[in-house]
Amino acid sequence: MTISDISHRKRYLPEGNVYLPHIAVIEKIIYETPNVKTFHFNFKDEKLKEEFTFESGQFGEYSVLGIGEATFCISSSPTRRDNLECTVARVGKVTNALHRLGEGAEIGFRGPFGNSFPLDYMAGKNLVLVAGGIGLAPLRSLIWNALDNRAQYGSIDIIYGARTPGDLCFKYDLESWEKDSSVNMTTTVDREAPDWQGNVGFVPAITEKVAPSAKNAVAIVCGPPIMIRFTFPVLEKLGFTPAQMITTLEKRMKCGIGKCGRCNIGDIYVCRDGPVFSYEQIRNFSSDEY
Amino acid sequence: MLEKWQKEFAVFVPSKASGVSQMEVWDGQDTAFLDRNRNTAVPPKAKFLPGMEKMFGFRKEEGSYVVEPTDGEPPKQLLFGIHPCDARAIGIIDMVFKDAYDDKYYLSRRENTVLVGMACTSPYDSCFCTSLGFGPADATDVDIMLIDIGDALLIEEVTEKGRGILAGAKGVIEATEKDEKEAAAARESANAKVSRKIDTAEISRRLPLVFNDREFWEEVSAKCVSCGICTFLCPTCYCFDINDEMLQDGSGARYRNWDCCSFAIYTRMPAENPREEKWRRVRQKVYHKYLFYPELFNVIACTGCGRCIRQCPVNWDITQTLSKLPAGSPGKAEEKQKAS
Repeated sequence: MTISDISHRKRYLPEGNVYLPHIAVIEKIIYETPNVKTFHFNFKDEKLKEEFTFESGQFGEYSVLGIGEATFCISSSPTRRDNLECTVARVGKVTNALHRLGEGAEIGFRGPFGNSFPLDYMAGKNLVLVAGGIGLAPLRSLIWNALDNRAQYGSIDIIYGARTPGDLCFKYDLESWEKDSSVNMTTTVDREAPDWQGNVGFVPAITEKVAPSAKNAVAIVCGPPIMIRFTFPVLEKLGFTPAQMITTLEKRMKCGIGKCGRCNIGDIYVCRDGPVFSYEQIRNFSSDEY
Repeated sequence: MLEKWQKEFAVFVPSKASGVSQMEVWDGQDTAFLDRNRNTAVPPKAKFLPGMEKMFGFRKEEGSYVVEPTDGEPPKQLLFGIHPCDARAIGIIDMVFKDAYDDKYYLSRRENTVLVGMACTSPYDSCFCTSLGFGPADATDVDIMLIDIGDALLIEEVTEKGRGILAGAKGVIEATEKDEKEAAAARESANAKVSRKIDTAEISRRLPLVFNDREFWEEVSAKCVSCGICTFLCPTCYCFDINDEMLQDGSGARYRNWDCCSFAIYTRMPAENPREEKWRRVRQKVYHKYLFYPELFNVIACTGCGRCIRQCPVNWDITQTLSKLPAGSPGKAEEKQKAS
């Protein structure tokens, strides 16, 4: 079983006209950092609420109707069905509009699209989960997924870093993972900060220090591209093969279904063939535009 | 015959009435397009993927959003006088709109359309369709095909749909052997008039040889002004953008518009842009047509219609670019691929 097999797995497919958004209601908003909010939402349509499924790693197209659509992963776990969650940094027109919405406001959702983390491949293995900044969002879906099926995995190492303590997302989750004796949790910030007693250093350097074993392990790395670029070599030094390293790629997207054209890396469309790729796949891309 | 079809379909013919030659609703009288028989500036793809189209409307009702899908089935349409290159182009982009998820907007129009092809007898200097596996008078991806044989039009039935629109038509007689011969001669003479050639042999092997040759692409793209005309008028370019419009009362609509890989904003993200540099965008255009699309759908996404050459304000010429590719004997190509 290799990661490329997962794109053919049966999954929930939106029916009818895939360009029509489903209306969902924001039920709760969590302020993660000054620039990042997590939105808890649920579909208005009861039947859809009941039938909707997705897998960790998949993404959606979120609308603020009248402003436009933007692409984010689903940051909640499919094992927790009370609501769906997305975590959004305020960077552009749509994300700013989303940040202006309050609880009770309505958004549009299309999806789920894309492939997902290869749970079949990861089963029985030790998980090394490395994230930076808002890159924890897709991994958080996977982490809760794994913790809710704890017996299916070996050891779980989480290494998470952000620029400053204030930039750490999901502090409530970090706390509970730290308390969880079945998780080896490491948190770091880039530079010394007042009242910060934890690790200081960039994620790749801390990963080298933690030195998780590559034996029967799979590493999943999500974060800013620069962090990913420096973390892969560290993991390679620790003995991880390219096939054992997985990440998610980010591209500007519009349609989410491989038609509008812009998210390609050579003949790979990140929306359709990704966003989850192994380093083995990435280093064999014909193009360097990732 | 056009009048008969008009009863059932919206009949579109090549027309310059609006100033730009494109497929426009037939006025019921003018038949000048039969004599002119040159390709339109705007490709007929616009009849399936309009430059701008409404995807759905929305409004607020008691504080809650209601999404209003655009109304049902598109009207039945008949495109008369479509040239083989443009019909082939539609056959090519059908694949991406059918792939994985159906694109209802495109496919429902496609379903409701009959293509009446017209053999092209006076190709432009910039045309190079014969290098892409068909000729200017071949019945590719049309429902019926017409060839001018002097005092009459020879009709070739191609599909069931085509047979359907010919049923009961007045003035249609069985072609004689002489007619067939004349059609064959017309086809041959049309083929001979396409003088521009590109070498598509081994192109999937030769293109990767220069993919990482930045100097090559900087030179090739130097004069491009990223205006996007080659994309907008290309019959196989299908990329689109999605945008919302809203009125003060909170109602509005979502539209999609033609988009273009020549624009830097096309791929721009908040923190970075994989194709900020012009040479990368020109490279993307050439590779998408000649390497990436073939890898996905097994067909080159170019029909040699020559519009990108004719309409380019700075005379950028894709056939010149392709002619600069290294010859790359099979052995050499494999070696270089291995080495990289």
